[in-house]
Parts: sequence; C-alpha cells; structure tokens
Amino acid sequence: MRRVRNWFANPWGQPRALGAITWLYMVWSIAPVLIAILFSFNNGRSRSVWQGFSLRWWWRDPNNSVLHDPTLRGALEQSLRLAGLDMLIAVPLGVGLAIGLTRWRGYGAKPVNYLMLFPLVTPEIVMAVSLFLVFDHLYNVPFGTEAQVLGQVTFSISYVVIIVRGRLLSVGPEYEEAARDLGASPLGAFRLALLPLLYPAVFASLIVVFALSIDDFVVTQYMSAGQQTQTVPILIYQTVRGTATPALNALASLMVIVTLLSVGLAYLVYRWASRAQPVTSSGALNEIAALEA
Amino acid sequence: MKNGAVDLVQLRKQFGEVAAVDGIDVSIEAGEFFSLLGPSGCGKTTTLRLIAGFERPDGGKILVDGEDMAATPPHRRKVNTVFQSYALFPHLDVFDNVAFGLRRAHVKKGEIKGRVTRVLEAVQLGGYEKRKPGQLSGGQQQRVALARALVLEPSVLLLDEPLGALDAKLRKALQLELKAIQERFGITFVYVTHDQEEALTMSDRIAVMSGGRVEQIATPEGMYEEPETVFVADFLGVSNLMRVRAEGADGGACLTVLGDFSLRAGRGEIAHQGETHIVIRPERVVIEPYESSGANRVPGMIERVVYHGSSEQLVVRLASGDIVQALFVRDGSSHDWAQGTAVQVHLPAEALRVLPPSSPGEMAAVAEVAPPDSGAALEVGAS
Amino acid sequence: MTRRWFWPSFALPGAGWLILLFLIPTYAVVAVAFGTFDPIFSTPVPIWNPLHWQFASMRSVLSGLEPGHAFWIVFVRTVGYVAISLAGCLLIGYPVAYYLARHARRTKGLLLVLLIVPFWVSYLMRMLAWVGLLLPDGLVNRTLMDVGVISAPRAWLAGQASSVVLALVYGYVPYLILPLYATLDRIDRSVLEAGRDLGGSPIRTFLHVTLPLSRHGILAASVLIALPMFGDYYTNDIISNSPRTSMIGNQINLFFQGGSEQAVGASLVIVLSLFLAVLMSYYLWITVRASAETKESLL
Repeated sequence: MRRVRNWFANPWGQPRALGAITWLYMVWSIAPVLIAILFSFNNGRSRSVWQGFSLRWWWRDPNNSVLHDPTLRGALEQSLRLAGLDMLIAVPLGVGLAIGLTRWRGYGAKPVNYLMLFPLVTPEIVMAVSLFLVFDHLYNVPFGTEAQVLGQVTFSISYVVIIVRGRLLSVGPEYEEAARDLGASPLGAFRLALLPLLYPAVFASLIVVFALSIDDFVVTQYMSAGQQTQTVPILIYQTVRGTATPALNALASLMVIVTLLSVGLAYLVYRWASRAQPVTSSGALNEIAALEA
Repeated sequence: MKNGAVDLVQLRKQFGEVAAVDGIDVSIEAGEFFSLLGPSGCGKTTTLRLIAGFERPDGGKILVDGEDMAATPPHRRKVNTVFQSYALFPHLDVFDNVAFGLRRAHVKKGEIKGRVTRVLEAVQLGGYEKRKPGQLSGGQQQRVALARALVLEPSVLLLDEPLGALDAKLRKALQLELKAIQERFGITFVYVTHDQEEALTMSDRIAVMSGGRVEQIATPEGMYEEPETVFVADFLGVSNLMRVRAEGADGGACLTVLGDFSLRAGRGEIAHQGETHIVIRPERVVIEPYESSGANRVPGMIERVVYHGSSEQLVVRLASGDIVQALFVRDGSSHDWAQGTAVQVHLPAEALRVLPPSSPGEMAAVAEVAPPDSGAALEVGAS
Repeated sequence: MTRRWFWPSFALPGAGWLILLFLIPTYAVVAVAFGTFDPIFSTPVPIWNPLHWQFASMRSVLSGLEPGHAFWIVFVRTVGYVAISLAGCLLIGYPVAYYLARHARRTKGLLLVLLIVPFWVSYLMRMLAWVGLLLPDGLVNRTLMDVGVISAPRAWLAGQASSVVLALVYGYVPYLILPLYATLDRIDRSVLEAGRDLGGSPIRTFLHVTLPLSRHGILAASVLIALPMFGDYYTNDIISNSPRTSMIGNQINLFFQGGSEQAVGASLVIVLSLFLAVLMSYYLWITVRASAETKESLL
C-alpha cells in the first residue's frame, strides 16, 4: 500500500494520478460513442442488448436500413444540403466581414465588431425564437430549407470572422502595402497579396462551418417545416426515445464517419495549402480550437 | 537630366494628438544616397511612408521631380520601397515576386523574363528563381526585396531599415553592396536607419530627425565634425558636452567660462553670449602631465581607463566637476595613464565648438540618450 | 491610402446580414412579448412601436417568477442543474487540461486528437449514445446489477435529475477543456519554475501561481458553457422528457413548439436574456480585452 502511494506521489516522475484521470476521461468521452456505433451492427431491433453482428441496419434490410428508409436517407440528404449551402454563403460573408473589420478604421467598425460577437454568446434558443418570430411576423419567410439556411448562416458568420481575423492580425498590412508599392490597385493588392495568404484560414472556416451546420439542432429545428426538412439531429431528437431501431445508430454513425473523414482530409489539404507559409501544425490546431473558444 | 529629386515642403502628419512629422523641409537631389537618421519614434519611418504613399499627409507637399505627389495613390507613384520585414509574398517564388511589379505594369512576357534575370544577377541571386522566400536566408530575402523594387527602375528607392534584421557581419557586407548598387543604377536612395554608423558609411547626406523635426542636414563629415545642435552632437558618436557661459567673440574665438576656468572655443557660434553648451570629440581631447601649462587647459583626475585593443579611452573628472572622455590610438608613443593620476586636460580651441543654446525639451532628450555624468555615456560610443 | 469606402464595402454584406437576421429578429422578440393577441386566428400580434406596448404577457411571466410559482421553480431548478453541471465539468476538465498542458509529453498529440474528436461528433449523436447505455436493459443497469449496487433496473430515462446532470456534463465538458487547455498552455513555464525555485511546493505553486494565472481562463470557459446550458432543452427532452426535470429552455420551447402563447414565451426569452446579459457582457469584455492585447503585442 505504501509502495503504491509512493509510486503515485513520486515528485520526479509524471503526476500519475493526473495522468490516470486524463486517460479515464478520454475513455469515458469516446466509449459511449463507440458503443453506439457498435450497436448499429446489431442483429436485433434493440439498441442496448447485443444480439449478434449484422449489416441489416446499414443496407441489408430492404425497408428499414439507412440505405433504403426514405426518412433516414432524406434526413441525411437534408443535413448535407444545408451544410453545403451554409458553407457557400457564410464563408464569403465572414471573410469579407473579417477583412473589413480589421482594415476599416471608421466609426462604424466598433459597433459592427460588437454585433459580430453577440451570436457567439447568445444561447441558441434565443436566436431560434427571434428568427422564428421575425420570419413569421415580419419577413414572411416560409419555414423550410430557405429559413434553415438563413438561420444557420447567421450563427456561422461569426465563427468565420474569428478564424479569418486571427490570421489577418498575424499577417499584418505590409504585404498589401508591398503590392500597392509595386503598382497593384487596392483591389489588385487584395486579390494578389492578401487573399492567397488567407487561403488556409478560409479553408479552416469551410470545415468549421460544415461541422457547425451538420451538428446544429435548435435553429434548424425551429426553421424546419415537417418531415421534408428534417435533418439527422432532428430525426435523432424525435425518435431516440421511441421506436427507433439500430438504423438510427447507423445513420448517426454514418454522420460521424463523414464528418471525421472530411475533417481528416481537410486537415491534410490545409497542411498542404499552408506549406509555404509560416504556420505550424499547432497553429492549425489553434485555429480549429479558436472556433469553439 | 537625372530624375529622382525629392522635395518635402512643410510636410506634416498627425497621429491623434501626436505630430509624427512636424512640418519638415527636406530637399533630396537626384541620384543622392540620403539617410534619415534618428532614434525610434523620431518620425523617420513616417516620413518614408508619406513619400511612398502609405500615409496621407495632413499638410505640406511631396514633390518628386517637381510634381506634387501628395494626392497620388502608392501604385501610381514612381517610387518603390524595400520594407524592413521585406514583405516578400510567401506564396510566390523568387521569380514571381520580382516580376510582380512588371506584370502590374503590363510589361511583355519576354521582356519580363530578361529584366528579372538581369536584376537577379545584379543582386547575385541568379539561379534562385524557383525558390520560395521561406527557403532563403535573411540576406537572400533582403536581396530579393531589393531586386523586386529595382526591376521597376524607379527614380527613387525608399529603404526602411533594410538591414535591421540581419546580423552584424552580413550587415557590413551588404552596406558596401547597397552603396555599389546605388552608384551603378544611379537612382536616388532614401534610407531610413537608426544606426549612425550605417548612415555615416553609406550616405551622401544625412538628415538627423528628432521629435518629428529635422535637426540638421549635412554630409557625414559635416554632421560629425560640425554638429549644429546639442541633440546631433550627442546622438552621433560620443561627445563631451559642457555647460558654459559664453562671453562673445574675441579674436576669432569665443571666450567661454567653465566653472573657474576660461576656455577659448574656435568653432561654431563664436559670437554667442550667455548660457550654452560647448562640445569636443573624445579623440580631440589631449591628456598631458599635470605639470604642463598653457591656455585651454583644465586640471583633472583620471577616473577610469578603458582598454579597447587598438585604442584606449580615459574618463577624466575635471576640476570644474564635468566628466570628459578622451580617446587615443595606442601607437606606443603615448603615456600609460593609471587610474587616479592627476593630469592636465588640453581642450584645443580649434576643436571646441560652441552650440546654440538649446530648448529645455531638447535637454531632456539628451539626458535620456546619455546621462551626462554616468558611465552610460561610454556605451553610446561603443554602439 | 485607399478610398474611404474600400474596406467598409468588404464588411457591408456580412454586417447587413447580421443586422437583418440578428439585430432586427432580437427586436421582433420584444415586439411580440409586448404585443397583443388576435382572438379570431389565435395568433400573437407584434407591436413594433414602443409607445403602444402592452405588458400583459410580461406581467404574467413576472408573477409566475415570484417565489413558489411555476416559473420560479423551473428557474431555480435550471440554475441548480447548471451550477452542479458546471462544477462537475470543472472537476473533470481542469485536471485533464492541466495534465495536457503541463505533463503530457509523448502522448500529447494523441491526447489532443482524442480531446477534439467529440467536437466533430454531433451533440445529438453523443446523447443518442447515452440513451442506449441508460435504457432499462442498457449497459449501465446491467453493470450496476452485476456489481450488486442495485437489484432491479432503474428508469434512468424517466425524470431522473442525476441523468440530466450527467448528460449535461458529458455534453459540455469538451467545450470547457479546450479553452482551459489553451489558457494553461500559455502560462510561461519559467514562471512556474520560479515558483518552485522560490521554495513553493508543487501544490503551493499551483495554488499561488497557476490558479491565479488561469483565473480569467476558468471564468471565460465557464461562461462559455454556462450560456448554452441555460438555453438547453434537447438534452433534457432526450434524457428525461419529464416535467419533473423541466428547465427554462424546455419551458420556452413549450410555448413555441406546443402552445400558441408566443407572447408569454417571448417574455420568458427576454427575462432569460437579461439574466444572461451579465454573463455575456463579462465574456465579451474578456474577449475584447484579449484581442486588444494581441493587437498591442503585434505593434
């Protein structure tokens, strides 16, 4: 007993108690997800009792598998459709806003700067309710895909601004000045000198917006209109307590796999795109970390 | 006639309450190597950025070959800049960096290739066309930055501390190279630096700046030998500054009173009367045995002997209380002075210079640079 | 030196978007909360002019917020759940972030990847995983019965406060660890070594150097996860779905997705927002100050 205590308290070694907590946490945070993925291969209808391995919930079952159930497939398609549209709209808007706010030294910059920070700290339900009410009573926007995209873009913009602005601050104005000095017009300097330097940040923004959109539940649900516009998170929310089969697990697992694959792939592209620039791998990590913080 | 004359007329730039450039008048001749020298925050970089067009002046004119540039955006000015950080485009290789300006000017493709190749040869970077800036050393990056500006054949080249990021040895080599390039291309260089030695070795003329104003414009020799203000005397090299009462001209020299001693000062404002400073360079101070006598001699005591290898520096406290430094070459002829020895300090009249009385603000600035009676003054000389 | 409108024009589309779809919608909540009710279509009628505002809905919400009344109970429960979950998150998150920042060496890369994985797994997927574990015949019940802690399966998913708190901790702790790790990683190692050198034991050094230096990081990260927790209704719906554990988010959601009393829901949103404004402004202050410091250090 004493030996064990000394081993733990060894002042020159690693603090083993802390290490143990850390590894326990890692197991605790990942294991439930892995178990859920495992149950997507269950041979029975249960999502909690193992009844042997099967692929029926993925594609074997002609009616209820992810591949064949129109509800599940529709949710997956809607999730990906929204993510694509969100990326397409939020990233250009956010990049422009970041550039404008960093370079613009006028009176309007400060209030917009604050306005940009608010969506980051507003609880999603508050945002969802306000969009719900304004679409209903003022803009007359019908609920459905359009409303969902409008909502998702609104909370995505700020994340893009944070990522791109971090990069802009580290780049500084001298590259544009050099380009101007060598005869480029203001727009030319932006296109030829600044934008190429921002590519890694733009790319990181695309990944982050994709993940935000795929993961979003509250705003997307408030903006949805019935089954046609259900996304995967909405489907999980509505069926997880009820009669859902392991096909739901399979659908959720598919989302995890799609996300992790695209993030992994994106990370490799990011490394490649920023190879000529003084960005370390931990820099990339920080950019991806900055988004959530 | 050569192009590239720059005239700054009453040029002014405010940043909030602070006047970064406070109404300066500078006239730079075509083909001249002109340095703006001063401590950080003196306004030299802002002046350069005003000429380049990155800042909008709040008043005054910027004339390049007689044409006012103040309202012209940077990409339409026939001046180019070498940035302190080089600002080489990291996503472009050396060739594309150098060709950047030519492409903006819609030069034909074949001509671009020839001009880039030639300018890269001139800065000794032939064969490096396909490298990315990140794969070059600091000195090589500096040459690319220079080539990128030179290839456009500007009439004026602005250089913002271009050697600041390099180590001492490389800096020395590049100083000579820069000067050679400037002479070969025959273009006006406006060179910003805080390094007095750099300014003295390379420039045709120097403007010393302080607090947004020009203190003095002169050739390197003129600046060193004939400083016109206390600030310049103190900023450039080591100076022995002594506060005296001047009593006006008397037979080609000014009669000044330093404590209980009177000194004749043969240069500068010899007609001045009243409180002011006199200055003498350490290498002009002569240390003699205590027994020697004559005019312009003040007794003192050697406080410190600093050995510099080829030269030796003595710090002497005069009977008036002032501290004087003397510097002499160790050629075997001189005495070996020991600490604590009583000596006569000879301050020759032809080396003593009377400065115009300075404003109180200026005096504070001087005190910052070198506290008059502390050892810190020695370090200023060493840098 | 560029034209005045050059840089603002970059910001214009994004700024316009935020004004149209963030600022004005926020006002719409106020307009509905202080609006009236159309008895024929049974829909709320927003009043956009502040001079004509009606306060009936807000009054009913405020009376519901008096101690002992319906909203008061939900509100107190929400604050309690969030406080306990936050404490749980810190208890787990701080040691993990500390170990990662200070001690993990060869395994650091792997641990960081494991730390980030939950960010890329949908929140709802992670809740789904727990539903599977907490079902009556799930792994949790079976393990507890095998060990002998309980004799019959417990209904973890039917109104258990402990399940809700567990799910909240599980859901939000990754969002706490990452910013905490960033804060602790920024602390200069030499400062800590100086603490040890000046005679502090590891624990004293931690208490007197590390903890004070990471204070702002802890507060900022806590605010960052407390804000969404206050608005959370889906965790509760999935894990409990019982009015016994209902939080303020569930209450608001009920008014919009279930009933037609939008004005009351909107008033509740306003009350919640005002309550959270204190936390929000603190977080904004920290962020703005930090970005100002970054700018300074770059100059």
